[in-house]
Amino acid sequence: MPLPKCWWAGPAEYPNSRPETFRDPCIFVYLRSLHLRHFRNYRDQGITFDAPKTILVGENAQGKTNLLEAVELLATLRSRRASRDRELVYQEEHQAQIAATVERLGVAHELVMELRSSGRRSLKVDGHVLRRQADFLGQVNAVVFSSLDLELVRGAPEARRNWLDGVLLQLEPVYLGLVEQYRQILKQRNALLKQDPKDSVPLTQATAGDQLPQMAFWDAQLATTGSRIMRRRARLLQRLQPLAAHWHRVISGGRETLTLTYRPQVPLPDPQASPAVIQAQFLAEIRTKAAAEHSLGSSLVGPHRDEVELCINGVAARAYGSQGQQRTLVLALKLAELELIEQVVRDPPLLLLDDVLAELDLHRQNQLLEAIQERVQTLVTTTHLGSFDAGWLKAAQILQVQGGQLFPDKTGDGIP
Amino acid sequence: MYTRPLARLIEELQRLPGIGSKTAQRLALHLINRPAGEIEALAKALLEAKQTVRHCSICFNWSAEDPCEICRSPQRDPSLWCVVADVKDLMAMERTREFKGLYHVLGGLISPMNGIGVDQLHIRELVARVAREKPQELIFAISPSVEGEVTMHVVKDYLKPVAPTLRMTRLAFGLPMGSELEYADEVTLARALEARQEL
Ligand SMILES: Nc1ncnc2c1ncn2[C@@H]1O[C@H](COP(=O)(O)OP(=O)(O)OP(=O)(O)O)[C@@H](O)[C@H]1O
Ligand SMILES: [Mg+2]
Ligand SMILES: [Zn+2]
Repeated sequence: MPLPKCWWAGPAEYPNSRPETFRDPCIFVYLRSLHLRHFRNYRDQGITFDAPKTILVGENAQGKTNLLEAVELLATLRSRRASRDRELVYQEEHQAQIAATVERLGVAHELVMELRSSGRRSLKVDGHVLRRQADFLGQVNAVVFSSLDLELVRGAPEARRNWLDGVLLQLEPVYLGLVEQYRQILKQRNALLKQDPKDSVPLTQATAGDQLPQMAFWDAQLATTGSRIMRRRARLLQRLQPLAAHWHRVISGGRETLTLTYRPQVPLPDPQASPAVIQAQFLAEIRTKAAAEHSLGSSLVGPHRDEVELCINGVAARAYGSQGQQRTLVLALKLAELELIEQVVRDPPLLLLDDVLAELDLHRQNQLLEAIQERVQTLVTTTHLGSFDAGWLKAAQILQVQGGQLFPDKTGDGIP
Repeated sequence: MYTRPLARLIEELQRLPGIGSKTAQRLALHLINRPAGEIEALAKALLEAKQTVRHCSICFNWSAEDPCEICRSPQRDPSLWCVVADVKDLMAMERTREFKGLYHVLGGLISPMNGIGVDQLHIRELVARVAREKPQELIFAISPSVEGEVTMHVVKDYLKPVAPTLRMTRLAFGLPMGSELEYADEVTLARALEARQEL
């Protein structure tokens, strides 16, 4: 099939329901091709994406998720499955490469990520080695929806914090620095809590005239950086809330109301509170938990213990909610994320659907399809095409994944 | 297998910072090829440096003489001091040729993870020195990091009782000169925005 210069449908095919996000389709960012070398179970495999939707079909353990993981790495610099780069490199090799061609405004850019089992990475854009990893963020944006995301509803608060942070990282480049700084302060503060009681006595016990205990200064650092993180999270949730509620209403057929509520560990008097007010609150909270922190030897106050509450019709979704309802909720969160990134970045991110599409009923598949239309380049994995709505199969590029290799689908172009 | 003395040399070189086993081998094979005189000069330089270089008892700069060249110089302004984490930072300030005051080297930054607190650094010495010599201003030239931040505030807290009127300043964060705004990373740019100045 010859590649049209711009393979999205023309303006006439767009319903006018979202005029604010409609633009000339040619200016969209899209992933034109991907080449994996010694990445996971891929030895050397290239792929050109020639339709807005690509469906990867294959049996278990063939490399479908691995391919999406490569795209996730390009977008976020991290993988939710691998804790160390060593796992990403083909067994017995030392170095893996993910190369991609991304088109923006019709101009192709080459992205290269090299991963080594030693953990050292190098990143290149158009042949130039980037000095800072953060500069790579934003070259490709992606929203990932996999069965892991059901943890967003069922799992511990950490899953929801990670989700918030992942969205913030794509939207606010400064956030990466803040998170790293916060992590470092926590490490140091925890080390201090575990040692010398002279340095770490709580503020209230410092005798007048003496120097303040060192802990007071770590408290101040924690409160300053921590409240910046809290303000950004609060702001993000305010923007996500109406979008998520909208999508949830649409998918559930108007029967259910979703609310997202930020529950920071340090209670916020109101989300718009000034930094000074939040910091004061933060320090007050540290004082009330001082004794417990010292006996446990770890920091109990701050955004590393934040929670996001998800409620359907006012009831906690974790307790209530069938599998299908939980899936609907996660889908609504992902669509909200997608829409927000699109609003802020002015380009729709890639949507990566790992295994989840086939698990949605036809109604929800249709809602999702309608929401993303042709605007959003989507990569979908599945073990079988049978449960797919015809709308998804139409005009999709279908590839077979087998033992780390890709083959064109021979089962009749995917049309059942 | 390398013959024993060569293997030992490689082992010793490998303990140096930034030198892995490949580099250590390369260095050892290079050294063994050089004339004996050159190697003797190198060994002598090493020993002599180790035997003669000491901390300056005033500012903790490295020096063969005590006090160091900077502390002894009549050209330097004794009312203005620059507080740095280590001698590398002192040298960076010296290379500007703009700073005419004296120094105080802390010998590191506070880091509970590495067991470095007030007593592992030259903070009490600084307090005594300030009380004795009464400078007018201290400039903290400390790399921006959470450890640097805490160290500066701790030092300031220690100095306040002995020198209530001492002016304490820190280097501004900003954009590197000659750099283009569009290439600045977000964190630097955000910091520079926070520390913006009246025009
Ligand atoms: N570093 C690596 N080197 C070689 N093979 C690897 C590496 N990491 C993972 N694999 C292999 O990749 C396969 C898993 O691939 P992947 O997770 O993409 O499967 P999948 O096609 O998504 O399957 P499922 O349908 O079960 O989700 C496994 O066979 C695993 O052994
Ligand atoms: Mg999979
Ligand atoms: Zn000196």
